[in-house]
Amino acid sequence: MVLIIGGVWQGKLDFAKETFGITDADVFICTNGEIDFSKRCIYSVEEFALYHPDPIGYFEAHRERWQNSIVILRDMSCGVVPLSPEERIWRQKTGRLAQYLSREAQRVSRIFCGLEQRLK
Amino acid sequence: MTFFISGGAKSGKSSLAQDLAVALANGGKHYYVATMISTGFEDDERIRRHIADREGMGFETVECFTDIMACLKTADRKGTFLVDSVTALMQNAMFPAEKNYEMDLAAAQRCADRLVEFAGAVKHAVFVSDYIYADARRYSESTEAYRKALADADRRLAKRCDTVVEVSAGQHFVHKGELPL
Repeated sequence: MVLIIGGVWQGKLDFAKETFGITDADVFICTNGEIDFSKRCIYSVEEFALYHPDPIGYFEAHRERWQNSIVILRDMSCGVVPLSPEERIWRQKTGRLAQYLSREAQRVSRIFCGLEQRLK
Repeated sequence: MTFFISGGAKSGKSSLAQDLAVALANGGKHYYVATMISTGFEDDERIRRHIADREGMGFETVECFTDIMACLKTADRKGTFLVDSVTALMQNAMFPAEKNYEMDLAAAQRCADRLVEFAGAVKHAVFVSDYIYADARRYSESTEAYRKALADADRRLAKRCDTVVEVSAGQHFVHKGELPL
């Protein structure tokens, strides 16, 4: 699995398309607590983390299905602790999921202004 | 040579950019492109602090609030230009004071086009921007549009510039090219 992280609007998906030769048809965009692992690229995993009560448990349960995936997750770890409990929990779940995925990944790339910084 | 510098608030971006511009100028003309339109006491203070920081470094100040190419009407393009910041230029262009700060997406696009054009038009340029992309807040539509427009400008400049540096707590991470300091 390849993990691509970075702030919003940094070009994470463009990087994945250019680097791994994928098209929109290969991309699953998360909008709720379910992921279609049949698509090669899983995008906006932070949105999945927002809706699923146990994101790491879900990934654990489907472990064999994402071993060759490209997983894209937005870094939202900075800034002031959000006032609303929903956003606070969302940020925590996303951060923990990022750590888990990063441990599991063969490669971790951070995208900064469209440029890759290889973290692993 | 062209440089793009970004990072968090008060991370040391401007100091690095100033040192870099002076080194690049190598005794030749170097311009500080003042981009900020003051909106009150806080801005006045920030501007005063930046002016004090630059004292004795030999910068000539040219004011430019939206279209970066406009500063070439008075400045010599064979000089070195410190553009601090892309963030302010984009804000001025996208939310024009003369139009009651109403969002202008076409102007934002134009602002980015002109920045990239400027990078190719002058001898040396150092662009400073702000990394405002890694928090968990849900912003208003116009603020999010601004973040996207600035990110687009950042990415185009990062692609165009010879060197890209991220600054954190005064330390530098070179994403691309070399830092001749």
